[in-house]
Amino acid sequence: MSDAAAPKSPATRRTLPSAGGEPMIWLTGGALVLCILMILGLVSLVLYNGSRAFWPGPIAQVELNDGTAFLGIRTDREEGTATTEPRALYRVGNRDIGQESFRWVDDAEVREVSYPPDAVMLERLAWGVWFGIPESITAKDEDGSESVLASGMDEVLEQYESLHRDARGEYHDAQTLRDHTLGEINHKIDSIRLRVREKELEFATAEDRPGRLPILVWVLAVAGCVLGGAGFVLLGRRANAYEIGVPGGIRIGRFGTAAMCVVLLLAGWIGAPWRGGAISETELQSYRADAELRERDLLSEYDRVLADIQAIEREDSRVRFVVNEVTGGRFSPISQTENTEPMRLSQVVRMVPANRLSTGQRFGVYLSRWWEYLTTGPREANTEGGVFPVIVGTVLLTLMLTIFVTPLGVIAALYLREYAVQGVLTSLIRIAVNNLAGVPSIVYGVFGLGFFCYTLGRYIDTGVARTVALPPLGWWFLYLAAAVVGVAAFALGVWSKPKPGEPPRAFNVWMKRLAWGAWVLTGVLVVLVFVRTPYFDGFFAARAADGSPTFGARGLLWASLTLALLTLPVVIVATEEAIAAVPNSMREGSYGCGASKWQTMRRVVLPGAMPGILTGAILAMARGAGEVAPLMLVGAVKLNQDLPISANAPFLHADRSFMHLGFHIYDLGFQSPDSEAARPLVWTTVLLFLTLVLALNLIAIVLRARLRARMTRGAV
Amino acid sequence: MISMDTPKQMKAHELKPIVQSVSLGGSGHKPVRYENIEAIRRGEPIEPAVHREMRSQDGVIKVENFKLWYGQSQAIHDVSMDIPRGAVTALIGPSGCGKSTLLRSINRMNDLIDSVRVEGKISLNGSPVYAPSVDVIGLRKRLGMVFQKPNPFPMSIFENVVYPLRIDGERRKSVLAEACERSLKAAAIWDEVKDRLKDSALGLSGGQQQRLCIARAVVADPEVLLLDEPCSALDPVATIKIEELISEISSRYTVLIVTHNMQQAARVSNYTAFMYLGRLVEYGPTAKIFQTPKLVETEHYVSGRFG
Ligand SMILES: Nc1ncnc2c1ncn2[C@@H]1O[C@H](COP(=O)(O)OP(=O)(O)OP(=O)(O)O)[C@@H](O)[C@H]1O
Ligand SMILES: [Mg+2]
Repeated sequence: MSDAAAPKSPATRRTLPSAGGEPMIWLTGGALVLCILMILGLVSLVLYNGSRAFWPGPIAQVELNDGTAFLGIRTDREEGTATTEPRALYRVGNRDIGQESFRWVDDAEVREVSYPPDAVMLERLAWGVWFGIPESITAKDEDGSESVLASGMDEVLEQYESLHRDARGEYHDAQTLRDHTLGEINHKIDSIRLRVREKELEFATAEDRPGRLPILVWVLAVAGCVLGGAGFVLLGRRANAYEIGVPGGIRIGRFGTAAMCVVLLLAGWIGAPWRGGAISETELQSYRADAELRERDLLSEYDRVLADIQAIEREDSRVRFVVNEVTGGRFSPISQTENTEPMRLSQVVRMVPANRLSTGQRFGVYLSRWWEYLTTGPREANTEGGVFPVIVGTVLLTLMLTIFVTPLGVIAALYLREYAVQGVLTSLIRIAVNNLAGVPSIVYGVFGLGFFCYTLGRYIDTGVARTVALPPLGWWFLYLAAAVVGVAAFALGVWSKPKPGEPPRAFNVWMKRLAWGAWVLTGVLVVLVFVRTPYFDGFFAARAADGSPTFGARGLLWASLTLALLTLPVVIVATEEAIAAVPNSMREGSYGCGASKWQTMRRVVLPGAMPGILTGAILAMARGAGEVAPLMLVGAVKLNQDLPISANAPFLHADRSFMHLGFHIYDLGFQSPDSEAARPLVWTTVLLFLTLVLALNLIAIVLRARLRARMTRGAV
Repeated sequence: MISMDTPKQMKAHELKPIVQSVSLGGSGHKPVRYENIEAIRRGEPIEPAVHREMRSQDGVIKVENFKLWYGQSQAIHDVSMDIPRGAVTALIGPSGCGKSTLLRSINRMNDLIDSVRVEGKISLNGSPVYAPSVDVIGLRKRLGMVFQKPNPFPMSIFENVVYPLRIDGERRKSVLAEACERSLKAAAIWDEVKDRLKDSALGLSGGQQQRLCIARAVVADPEVLLLDEPCSALDPVATIKIEELISEISSRYTVLIVTHNMQQAARVSNYTAFMYLGRLVEYGPTAKIFQTPKLVETEHYVSGRFG
């Protein structure tokens, strides 16, 4: 025994002072705290600013050293520095009398600030807010004489409630008639005119429209397809002789026959030799006359409704509200051009006598403003009113993008992970997909505009130009070629499979390459078939000819497809991971039961991967909901008259443009004519946007949690 | 393609020095030579010691000169054996000798591995297993398989059991319920789960899961039941239960079972095959293999003195 084997004495090893890692603990902890602080800061800033915007502050009467005075609500304050005076920002409204709606006042200029109890703030339909002292509510009679319904602040306050409700009711009736009844009539007239236009177009282009397929050619085509189908069945029978194997032969036979049937049906639909020709001149004339008659009926109805509306409005405009501004004593006018007339009572959206309100009443005003904000449309270049259409647009867009991206991504990932032979190609595709996630989103916007709106959309609208379309015979040749090459590609693919239990031979490898080549060729041919067909004139040619494209412009459908493309990598990557995480033993179990690959996929792998897939969908949704840049290009607008959903068929109008919260924030903050006035709304909208995205995510997360729980414990 | 998580053991002869097996006579006995084993290690073919009783059997599965390669390395060398009808046959042998591979060759689970290549013939009730005309899925429907690790699917107990029927398109509630009850009873787990058929199968214990997998394997009345170490993940009590179950169902099914547990092979099987490094070494009635084997290697292997 030597000493070397003896254990070392404890003194030869020591613990370094740095081993405790104290500084690292502080550093890591500090980093975490910093992160949390930043996030908390963001959230609390949004919460604070977003929730206080609607709180009715007291109305101040500011008297200045030069003798003038104004009413306003203080919204901001800056303490003085070495070079600037201390000053305050007041919201003063009253844009009608030619002032900015916000005003900075240096403290030094101010002689006195008081809070007159009679001061009110009027939120009006147009021209922003008005600060003033109410004088009276009057009514003009038929004969032009005026009667005072209420005078002085106290009486006004007493009467205001009921009078205002009546006035607003009338205003609403008129508005509903205008929007719905007139809108409906207009819609009908438009569609009649569109029909006429369609017929005219059909008549005008009848000359250069290709003739229908001659019946003889058609019968020959039918016979060819039937023979082809039979050939495939035969091939399936004799498959062993060609070393394809019976199952493979049966597959080829089935696919070939099915493909032939589809080709035949399509050809029948396109070439339809039994369908009648274009319309004649007399038919067009009679159609026109008919349309004119119906249009006249509608026009007279239109006039009747218009008369009703005018009657209501006349009644409505009798009641006037006189609210004086403090210095000049001018009242809030009925309109910019007629400033000698006081405003109609119905022009007031809300009167806030802020200095008389108790805290409870203030809270009531606060809530009613929120309610208005959430349920009505915007006014005044978006700086006033609500965001209802914006919420609808955002929610629709998010839902549609999720509906598009989830199945697409899941199916793609399924193929990539389960069916594709793992090799260089799949690795390349994976890298490409991952890189797609890093492409700046505006690039997707450009692509969406260029491809979806202007290429695909225009194709749907107006079809194929006569100069591009092939002559019918050439096109039918192309069509058949595509079908034949497609079936051949499938057959080659099946044929290329090596015999069971044998490694692939050179024959198999070359057959496989051939099959791939044939598939690519099929793809090219199919695209050509679509692009160069002489038989497609678009679904909305008449409207496009009138200069109002349907799908050939920016809209909800294209925006959601663009965002679907943008979020596709998220879904693909998440799904791939989820599928890979399903243990192979489960797959083996399923195969061992005699399940096919597809059955295994559908019944075992997909359910097992479902929580992960849903996580991917949630991430995609969150990413898509928050995206703004591409939307500016492909569909979000500052203001749209018609919501993308309506009670008229087809209920969801995916061709319409829409409003979006993200874009709305940008618009409020940077594009509005009165940025100070818009600022509180920016915060409120940010708060809303944040809440909406969080709510959508939360719903999805709860769904996933329930699914997961069901998967592992509870009932299935 | 999916890569299966089959254990990738090293080849035994690459690891162990050959000396160990040359003369291990035990205490005081005269040294013996493992002639066959040594020949196999040198890569020479041997004549397997097949007992006379095996010749007269009616074979459900006939394996003839079967060879299998994983890529370049050969895992099964020229195995020929008949699996007798209506009996339990056990496959034994040291780890990595190709028992699982042989089992999985019968229902062509090896097709799932890209690099596998086979030669020779296997037939099931007279129909070839490896022929171009064979529909693999149809073939697997004729066999039931239970794996080493319990692998219930992420669905309810009921759906797990009737899975083979479901994928065959069976929808009638009454038929499914009846089949479910019958096979759960056959798998001796009915009493434990009859009140929670709608619960997820992943919530069962390991032993229950394995019996559930057996129920799933027998629900569609397979011609042969293939069991790959069905008890290796289970505790003794669960093991006993499954062994009883195997003895019980052996009256109805032909069973081929891979096991590492000699007692288990002795208890449940009628016939036993001893494999070594991809070759069949000895094959005969279990009683003879365990008491009067022809080869000394077999005697020492089953008594734990070698392997
Ligand atoms: N997927 C595979 N790829 C390559 N080689 C494999 C694969 N699966 C098994 N092998 C090899 O084939 C041989 C036989 O493996 P097999 O799993 O059949 O052994 P076994 O007898 O079942 O062993 P055990 O008793 O440990 O389960 C081993 O040498 C193993 O390494
Ligand atoms: Mg094994």
